[in-house]
Amino acid sequence: MSARVERKPRVAIAFTVLFFVILYLPIVVVVLFSFNAQKSLTVFKGFSLRWYDEFIHDSDMLASVGMSLRVSAVAMIGSVVIGAALALGMVRARSKLGSFAGLVMLIPLVTPEIVTGVASQLLFKGFYLHMSQVTVVIAEVTFSISYVTVILRSRVAAMNPELEEAAMDLGATRWQAVRLVTLPALLPAILASSVLIFAMVFDDFVLAYFTSGVSPQPLSVRIYSQIRNGVRPTINAVGTLMLLASFALIALALSIPRFFGRKGGLDILSGE
Amino acid sequence: MTNPAVRLDEVSKAFGDTYAVRDVSLDIAAGEFFSLLGPSGCGKTTTLRLIGGFADTTAGTILLDGVDVTGLPPNKRSVNTVFQSYAVFDHLSVADNVGFGLRRQGVGRSEIRSRVGAMLDLVQLTGLADRRPRTLSGGQRQRVALARALVCRPKVLLLDEPLAALDLKLRRQMQVELKQIQREVGVTFVFVTHDQDEALTMSDRVAVMNEGVVEQCGTPEDVYERPATTFVAAFMGTSNLMAGVYSADGTVAIAGGPTVAVGKRDGISDGAKVNVSVRPEKIWLSQHEQGMVVTGGTVRETVYSGPTTTYLIDIAPGVSVAALEQNTDRSRNEERWESGAEVRVGWRPEHCLVLT
Repeated sequence: MSARVERKPRVAIAFTVLFFVILYLPIVVVVLFSFNAQKSLTVFKGFSLRWYDEFIHDSDMLASVGMSLRVSAVAMIGSVVIGAALALGMVRARSKLGSFAGLVMLIPLVTPEIVTGVASQLLFKGFYLHMSQVTVVIAEVTFSISYVTVILRSRVAAMNPELEEAAMDLGATRWQAVRLVTLPALLPAILASSVLIFAMVFDDFVLAYFTSGVSPQPLSVRIYSQIRNGVRPTINAVGTLMLLASFALIALALSIPRFFGRKGGLDILSGE
Repeated sequence: MTNPAVRLDEVSKAFGDTYAVRDVSLDIAAGEFFSLLGPSGCGKTTTLRLIGGFADTTAGTILLDGVDVTGLPPNKRSVNTVFQSYAVFDHLSVADNVGFGLRRQGVGRSEIRSRVGAMLDLVQLTGLADRRPRTLSGGQRQRVALARALVCRPKVLLLDEPLAALDLKLRRQMQVELKQIQREVGVTFVFVTHDQDEALTMSDRVAVMNEGVVEQCGTPEDVYERPATTFVAAFMGTSNLMAGVYSADGTVAIAGGPTVAVGKRDGISDGAKVNVSVRPEKIWLSQHEQGMVVTGGTVRETVYSGPTTTYLIDIAPGVSVAALEQNTDRSRNEERWESGAEVRVGWRPEHCLVLT
């Protein structure tokens, strides 16, 4: 081995470090100041858990957390069920309609979210619906279906068609073949997209802002409206907790392949 | 009178305007090892898929044991399939893979366990019941696929090039084993392959297919020794096809080459354009006997392959034949010709196939 091969380019290392500093420094600041003993957002005056205490006694804030969790869970289940069915149908339907639907499916991914948000609100108002948990869920499910379908579609297309044929050959009906063979084979991708959708919906602000009601507000919308009246460090505590929850989700997503005895990490887009 | 295990009656399958299978009629007897042989794209796999119910017939009827199953889905047919990709279910253990069909039939737990165990013994996977298919070798996965199909006790087992993905040695071993298993369980096997050696060694009967039609159906000896068409002669190994014109006196004038005696043949008219074929192992380069067609030639190439040596010999400009010699006395360096050597090429007229 020559020394030349082993020497690492310093510029590359410097850029990498800089990248991570810019990316994570604001987050580090949020975490740090969530433990600040004083109300200041600029000067650290000693360690305290008072903002966490304030958060868990803020019933409005807790209601928002509860609402965000509910919306995320329902949107996750709804979009994964519908998205999976769509993915199966689009691949299996050997018609032009399938590929056309696949193309239409991509539009929500590139449409500016604010357009989707305004459009959703106008639509709901057109039907004289009050903005509420129901309208957020409908909007989030609609928006998330595309992601699920895009992820699962490639997996379904990559599946060996002989697997389902083998199941039917062994006496399974078409539905049994899907339930006993296709869905288990797709399970890693289904779980991966579930985690992704949950995290996306939980974090979502724009769509939630336009389609949610006043009480309770989704967490992201509540944080936004609180900041307008001046930032309280409670927000830092909430942010830190959300960060922790996100880490937990990512860890869960990464360990999914291990449950299925596969090596390596999880590519969230392919579910491999 | 017993019904054939499988009967195809004028079966056709078209994809758009192109026919993958055209007017195929076959009777496959119960307990037979029957091969569908042909090059890729000849319609052999499509024929198998039609029998299995994975594709709909465009025309014709399919009968299994005398019962019309045309149009029935795979789960309503008493056949099982070993797929080319094996299609083993990776999310299930080996035992659950093999028991899949029995569970669909509603067989009881304890019976499933004993039948799966017995089947794993038969295919020599004893002790691997709890393993995940992902951890098995290609050959073992293939045995899982075989066990999974056989445990259902099908009337007919369909095998789609099951040995194609195995290396040569394992393949030879599996050929023998498959044949043994077939004899043991007595199930009718319909075996798709593009490998003529495989078809010849394993089958009771072979149907040679080309471009969607059955060119010839018969015993391995029939299709090899007495090919019905030029295609069959050419597909069943090296066949030394020589174009020529037949004369009613029992000779063929080979284009650009000698006129050779082939004996009088019924059904071939005087002056008909024919192909003459002599198998390489039926060509003698020495010790010619009386009554043989003998002609001169020049060795162009010699190919040594262990037990045999193949000589490529020009017998006329543009006409060459391959001759296969056993290397029985090779160690004594006898009967050996290098390229450029002048040799005498001889064969018996009755070993000469005349194909129209």
